[in-house]
Amino acid sequence: MTTTEMNEIGLMEGVTEALNAGAVERISIGEPEWLRERRAHAWDVYERTPMPTTRLEEWRYTDLSKKLDLSALRLSEAEASPDNPDAWPAQLRATMKEDHGASGHIVIIDGHVVHADLNDDLAAQGVILMSLHEAVQSHGGLLQEHLATRAVPAEEGKFAALNAALWADGIFLYVPKGVRLDLPVRVTRWLSESGAAYFSRVLIVAEPNSQVSYVDEVVSDDFDAQTLTSTAVEVVARAGAQVQYVAVQRLGRGAFYQSEQRTLADRDATLDTLNVALGASVSRVDLNARLLGPGANSDMLGLYFGDGDQHFDFNTSQDHTEPNTGSDLLYKGALDGESRAVFRGIIRVLPGAQRTDAYQTNRNLLLSPGARADSLPNLEIEADDVKCSHGATVGELDADAKFYLMSRGLSRVQAERLVVTGFLGEVLSRLPLGGVVEKVNRVIEQKLLNHS
Amino acid sequence: MPQNETIQDLGLDQYKYDFITEGKPVYRAQKGLSEEVVRQISAHKEEPEWMLEFRLKALEIYNSKPMPKWGGDLDGLEQVLDEIYFYVRPQDRMQHSWDDVPEEIKDTFEKLGIPEAERRVLAGVGAQYESEMVYHSLREEWENQGVIFDSIEDGLKKHPDLFREYFGTIIPTADNKFSAMNSAVWSGGSFVYIPKGVSLDTPLQAYFRVNQERMGQFERTLIIVDEGAQAHYIEGCTAPVYSTESFHSGVIEIIVKKNARFRYTTIQNWSNNMYNLVTQRAIVEAGGHMEWLDGNLGSKLTMKYPSCYLMGEGAHGEILSIAYSGDGQHQDTGGKVVHAAPYTTSSIVSKSISKGHGRSTYRGLLKVHEGAHHARSNVECDALLINDTSRTDTYPYIEIEESDANVGHEASVSKIGEEQLFYLTSRGIPEDEAMAMIVRGFIEPIAKELPLEYAVELNRLIELEMEGSVG
Repeated sequence: MTTTEMNEIGLMEGVTEALNAGAVERISIGEPEWLRERRAHAWDVYERTPMPTTRLEEWRYTDLSKKLDLSALRLSEAEASPDNPDAWPAQLRATMKEDHGASGHIVIIDGHVVHADLNDDLAAQGVILMSLHEAVQSHGGLLQEHLATRAVPAEEGKFAALNAALWADGIFLYVPKGVRLDLPVRVTRWLSESGAAYFSRVLIVAEPNSQVSYVDEVVSDDFDAQTLTSTAVEVVARAGAQVQYVAVQRLGRGAFYQSEQRTLADRDATLDTLNVALGASVSRVDLNARLLGPGANSDMLGLYFGDGDQHFDFNTSQDHTEPNTGSDLLYKGALDGESRAVFRGIIRVLPGAQRTDAYQTNRNLLLSPGARADSLPNLEIEADDVKCSHGATVGELDADAKFYLMSRGLSRVQAERLVVTGFLGEVLSRLPLGGVVEKVNRVIEQKLLNHS
Repeated sequence: MPQNETIQDLGLDQYKYDFITEGKPVYRAQKGLSEEVVRQISAHKEEPEWMLEFRLKALEIYNSKPMPKWGGDLDGLEQVLDEIYFYVRPQDRMQHSWDDVPEEIKDTFEKLGIPEAERRVLAGVGAQYESEMVYHSLREEWENQGVIFDSIEDGLKKHPDLFREYFGTIIPTADNKFSAMNSAVWSGGSFVYIPKGVSLDTPLQAYFRVNQERMGQFERTLIIVDEGAQAHYIEGCTAPVYSTESFHSGVIEIIVKKNARFRYTTIQNWSNNMYNLVTQRAIVEAGGHMEWLDGNLGSKLTMKYPSCYLMGEGAHGEILSIAYSGDGQHQDTGGKVVHAAPYTTSSIVSKSISKGHGRSTYRGLLKVHEGAHHARSNVECDALLINDTSRTDTYPYIEIEESDANVGHEASVSKIGEEQLFYLTSRGIPEDEAMAMIVRGFIEPIAKELPLEYAVELNRLIELEMEGSVG
């Protein structure tokens, strides 16, 4: 069979000069056998999986054939920066400076973990925070159990397979039983290579009754060629654990941000997530929350603000497989310019998952005539003793609120800014994290300045 | 819970329209769908050449389209389609006097509870038996005002120009696989024209009955409501219960002109072995007002999403949908509203009840095109689950391209509240009655819009279903 023929039936789609079996082998050099096998298997799945098209429900509003050109990408070739803040880009340092206290830090520059630190007490209690590369050598057992197995295995889809085959580095965070981190773990990423493809993974394992909050922020300048960043996020909260996962995306234009997130909450665990999307040209987040034990609960928050020709696509699911579980999703966004947002969410209540409480709300504010929002909040309910509801709205700026503020002497611009920040503020107020709130508000205000 | 076992025993097995009328059709085409069958249908109807060509083209389109992969389970359908009769002619020609309708057919409609007295309160009545309208009548006063209420075949014969201007323009043949199928083999249905400014104060009513085993019914209805006119059209559908599956696929095209008002009510109570795949669409011009009232109680699988295309300024569309799914039933229903002009408004209210192994799905589209500024829309879906084996899904699509629009969607799923039950029983009301009261309260916003006889019927059904369900 020729490559063209294979492409026609969906085989070998997305295999390019840079992304191919040879690249997988080169990355595998020096890695333990189990990981080499896992990568090879993932690559196999990738080759066999057709590229998603708009004929798939999940990709109905994001046409990859127009939005992503895999053949133009090369794998990142950047050298690792030294572990010395003076050598780091100024924007990266500025971003970190704004953060409040932390239990530990990780800094990733162009795909390499260049810095990791962790509070000594916590390290003594058995907390692990390190690069995934390093963890493969020192904590092989834990990784073999969790990495690309239950949460984001290659079989989850085309991007999951590509990521599992080609991930270059990432973060491993492990919190032992009963250990509680008062301050968040903060990860800051910087990307600079235009036209590159970055693949990274995050693995968080919180043992029973532990507590941790994790903030992952990615920043960059604008790119003059399309740049792909693909992240697979696996979060496991064991019985009674409390975990917060926060992702803040502030990439420059030209970036294609793709994030595959799965959260697994066991009995009585609380696993909350917040996705903030402000940057990139295209941003696609697939978030699947699985409530696996009685009493498990997930709050799922999202905030986005689009302008120019930005395209945001959120694909979420809330899977209730056991009785007495809860989930509550709130995604809110404002859209200016020609930007567009897609929200597709589904609540699935499986047979036997009685006394489920599941809610889902998506609200959109359209600030300009060219903006567009599509909202698809779905429910699939197979148990009868449940409380489930969803709501979606798309609307313009509340004219009454604006008028009220202006009649109190505020200018039109000030009034609009207040209404929009008030609208979006609801999301942040439900998961207030020092540093994040201020940064997000500042970006929103900057965007609003451009609006007026 | 013990009550679930009792409630399950009830099911819809007390389907009261399960009777078969003996009688030989005057003509029956061969089984299955082929070009020959299409030609035979057209020849029997003595159609003009353009219609035969229209049908043959539609057959081609039908054959080229794949079976839908979404919605209900259509896996077994292809086999069913090979076995059914696409055209069965019950009598030689349509009657306009009830006395001339053959005795056995008359008997059927009497049994369906359409007594003379009820017929008298209607502006017009049509009755379809198998593939043909067997009876059509319209009150003289309306006829004198230029109202047309005829079988679709007579519409084509007697009003060829008006017919050709609109037929197939609101729902193009290629819209979906089943609209293509209907376009190839359509037979029966109504042709309605309400002249400018005429307002009918009583409804027009059509009854559809499938009597034969392995029968496919493909009615086609075209309704034109001219400027400023007003009317209400009601259709009811029933069939006996056979061990084999039957098929019904209608296409309903409606045009509501400037400032006209129209309401289309369906009470679908097909037997539980019927595939019911219907395409219904209305185009609403400026200031027009269109309402779909869609009740789906019967059938094995229904896929039906009445739609309003709001094409003129200030047009209004409304969809009220109620679905009941018992054991073995899947109601995949909902509605579709497209706002294509400024100041258009719409509302969709959907209520479903799933019981036993029944499954109810709401599927809807709400679209606001760029330029349809000041569009307002609200969608509400509520689902009630009676058993832990019942299932409900909600799939709303909301696509907004206009910033100056306000749309909202809300949906909720619940079971009958223990607190509500407790409150009522503590007031001395027996549990099964309390349960029926709660269900009635749940569907009340829609039931109150139904014509009286159907509202009574619906309430009776619910009472029957809830009887002995608690305790």
